[in-house]
Amino acid sequence: MTVSPQPVLETVRVLANERIATGVGLLTLQAPRIARSVEPGQFVHLRIGVGRTEILRRPFSVHRAVGDRIEILYQVVGAGTARLARVGPADEDLDAIGPVGHGWDVPAGTSHALLVTGGLGAAPMGMLAERLAAQGVACVVAMGAPTAERLVARELFESVARKVVLTTDDGTAGTRGLVTVATERLLAEERFDMVYACGPEGMQRAVASQAAVAGVRCQVSLERLMACGIGACLSCVVTTTNGRKRACVDGPVFYAEEVVWYASEVPPKH
Amino acid sequence: MTMDAHVDLSVALGELELANPVMTASGTFASGREFAAFVDLNRLGAVVTKGVSAQPWDGNESPRIAETPSGMLNSIGLQNPGAEAFCAKDLVWLKEHAPRVPVIVNVSGHTVDEYAAVVERLDEECAVSAYEINISCPNVDEGGLAFGTSCPAAAAVVAACREVTTRPLIVKLSPNVSDIAEIARAVEAAGADAVSLINTLLGMAIDVDTRRPMLARGVGGLSGPAIRPVAVRMVWQVARAVTIPVVGMGGIMTGRDAIEFMLAGATAVAVGTANFIDPTATMRVLDGVEEYCRKHGVKRVRDLIGAVSL
Ligand SMILES: Cc1cc2nc3c(=O)[nH]c(=O)nc-3n(C[C@H](O)[C@H](O)[C@H](O)COP(=O)(O)OP(=O)(O)OC[C@H]3O[C@@H](n4cnc5c(N)ncnc54)[C@H](O)[C@@H]3O)c2cc1C
Ligand SMILES: Cc1cc2nc3c(=O)[nH]c(=O)nc-3n(C[C@H](O)[C@H](O)[C@H](O)COP(=O)(O)O)c2cc1C
Ligand code: FES
Repeated sequence: MTVSPQPVLETVRVLANERIATGVGLLTLQAPRIARSVEPGQFVHLRIGVGRTEILRRPFSVHRAVGDRIEILYQVVGAGTARLARVGPADEDLDAIGPVGHGWDVPAGTSHALLVTGGLGAAPMGMLAERLAAQGVACVVAMGAPTAERLVARELFESVARKVVLTTDDGTAGTRGLVTVATERLLAEERFDMVYACGPEGMQRAVASQAAVAGVRCQVSLERLMACGIGACLSCVVTTTNGRKRACVDGPVFYAEEVVWYASEVPPKH
Repeated sequence: MTMDAHVDLSVALGELELANPVMTASGTFASGREFAAFVDLNRLGAVVTKGVSAQPWDGNESPRIAETPSGMLNSIGLQNPGAEAFCAKDLVWLKEHAPRVPVIVNVSGHTVDEYAAVVERLDEECAVSAYEINISCPNVDEGGLAFGTSCPAAAAVVAACREVTTRPLIVKLSPNVSDIAEIARAVEAAGADAVSLINTLLGMAIDVDTRRPMLARGVGGLSGPAIRPVAVRMVWQVARAVTIPVVGMGGIMTGRDAIEFMLAGATAVAVGTANFIDPTATMRVLDGVEEYCRKHGVKRVRDLIGAVSL
C-alpha cells in the first residue's frame, strides 16, 4: 500500500484552463509541493475563490503531475465547477489542500491491468496509467462516454496502454453501448491480475461484480460529499465490511470486495 | 500605544484558565490529529473534541452534508468509537502531541445515565481539563436536542454529571428553543460552570430536481457564516441572563468575528465550520484577535467581554 504523505495547504496559480469537450475543462495549476508528492488516485481539495456564498471546498482528482504542475480534469455540474471553468491566471485566490487520500494500490507482481473509465472517471486514471506503463505493467483501458468528444484523456491512454477499447452511448466512437459490455468481454478473453475502475457508482459496481466473477481483484474510486477533506468531519463515510470508513483519507480508492454497495452512495442527480 | 505592545490574551472559564480565547468547535476538528499538519495545536486556547458517547455510535446514513448559502447542513449523527477507544487513541495522541493545550471533551448520551457514565470514565484520565456537555445535537433521535429544549431535562443531565466530577462543566446550548436564556439559567442553577452556544440550527434543504431532501435523514444542523447573527444575538441574551462565562460560536471565520462574539458577552469563542474551509482558520482567528487588540489599544482581551455599547 502506498503510504500517504501529510497533505499541505498550498496557494495555487492557474497556468492554463482549457475547454476540452462540452462542459469539460482541463486545468493546469502550479502547485509545486503537491505535484512533488502526489500519488496516483489521490486528490486535491480546492478552494475556488473566497467571499462567495458557496463556502466549501471541492474535491478533484489529480489527473497528472508534471514537474511543479498538476492537471485537473473537471466537468461543470454546479456553481463551484461553473466558477472553476472561469478561473484564469489573474485569479489569485485559489488554494488547495493536497495531496489527500489513499490512492490506487499497485501490488508487487502486477503484470496485466485493466483500467475502466466512465466519463470523468478517466480523471484519476491518468497518473495511474503512466505509472503502470513506467513499471512495465501491460495495460488495457476500456473507456466509456456519452459521445466521442467526451472520451477525455483518450490520447494519454493510447500513448501508454497496450490496447484502448472505446464505447459510446451514441456510437460516435468505438462500440455503441455501455463500457460494461466491453469489460465483460475483456475479462472473459484475457487474463488480468488487477482491475481499476472509476466512473458513475453504478458502473463501478457492475465492473466490480464482473471482476469478482472472473476472479480478478478490483479497486474502485468512490465519490462522497466532503466538507473537511482531511478526515476530521465524517461527512464522507463509505459503508464497508470493516465498518464505516472515510472516503477522503481511507479512500477514495477502495478494494471493491470491501465496499457495501448502495449503503452510502451519493444519490445521482435527476 | 505601540504596534508591538504586549496583549494579554488570557481568559478564564471558571477555574479553567486559557492562554487565549480561541477554541475549536466540537465535531469540526476531530481530536486535532488531522489538523496537526496545518495548525500549531499548542497555540490554541483549548481543543474541544468531537462528541464522545459511552458506547460506539454509528451515526446517520449518507448523504450527511449539504452546502447551503454561506453555510452547510450536517447530519453526521455523532458517529464516534465510544469512550474507551477515545481514551486509548485520541487522548493518548493529544497528550503526546499537544501537551500544553487544555483538552475539553464533548460528551453525548441518549439518557442521563449515559452522559454521567462518559464523564465518570473520562474523569479517570488526567489529560482531560473540562467537559462540554452536548444537550443540543439536532441529529440524534433520542437524547441530544431533547435534553436541550426542556429546562428540567437539561438540569437533570447537568446535575448527574456534576455528581461525578469536580472538573469544569460547560453546557452546550441549542438555539432551537424559544427562550435560550431560560435554559441557560436552568443549567447554571444545576451546577454548570459555563455555557457554550450555539449548536447548529435545525434546517432542511430539498433538491427540487429529484424532489428529495439533500440529507438522507431529511433534516440537519445549519452552521457557518449564515448563522452568525443569530448566534451573536443569543450569546448577548445569555450573557445578560447568567453569571457564569459564555463560550460563543456560530460562523466565526475571522478575528473580527471572534471579537464580535466577545463584545456580545462571550469570554471565549470556538471556530467550527471555518476549519473545513481553511484548515488554518483557528490560527488566523487567533492572530486576528491579537491584531485587533493592538490596533485598538486593548491591553487585555478580557476587557472586551460584553463591552458592546448599546
Ligand atoms: C475524491 C473525489 C474526486 C473527484 N474528482 C473529480 C474530478 O477529477 N473531476 C471532476 O469533474 N469531478 C470530480 N469529483 C466530483 C466533484 O468534486 C464535484 O463534481 C464537484 O464538487 C461539484 O461541485 P459544484 O459546485 O459544481 O456542484 P454542486 O452540485 O452545486 O455542489 C454542491 C455540493 O455538493 C458537492 N458535490 C456535488 N457533486 C459531488 C460529487 N460527485 N462528489 C463529491 N461532492 C459533490 C460539492 O462539492 C458541493 O459541496 C470528485 C469527487 C471526489 C469526492
Ligand atoms: C460537521 C459538524 C459536526 C458537529 N459535531 C458536533 C458534536 O459532535 N458535538 C457538538 O456539541 N457540536 C457539534 N457540532 C456543532 C459545532 O460545534 C458548532 O456548535 C456549530 O457548528 C456552530 O459553529 P460554526 O458555525 O462555527 O460551525 C458540529 C458541527 C458540524 C458542522
Ligand atoms: S470529508 Fe471530512 S472526514 Fe472526509
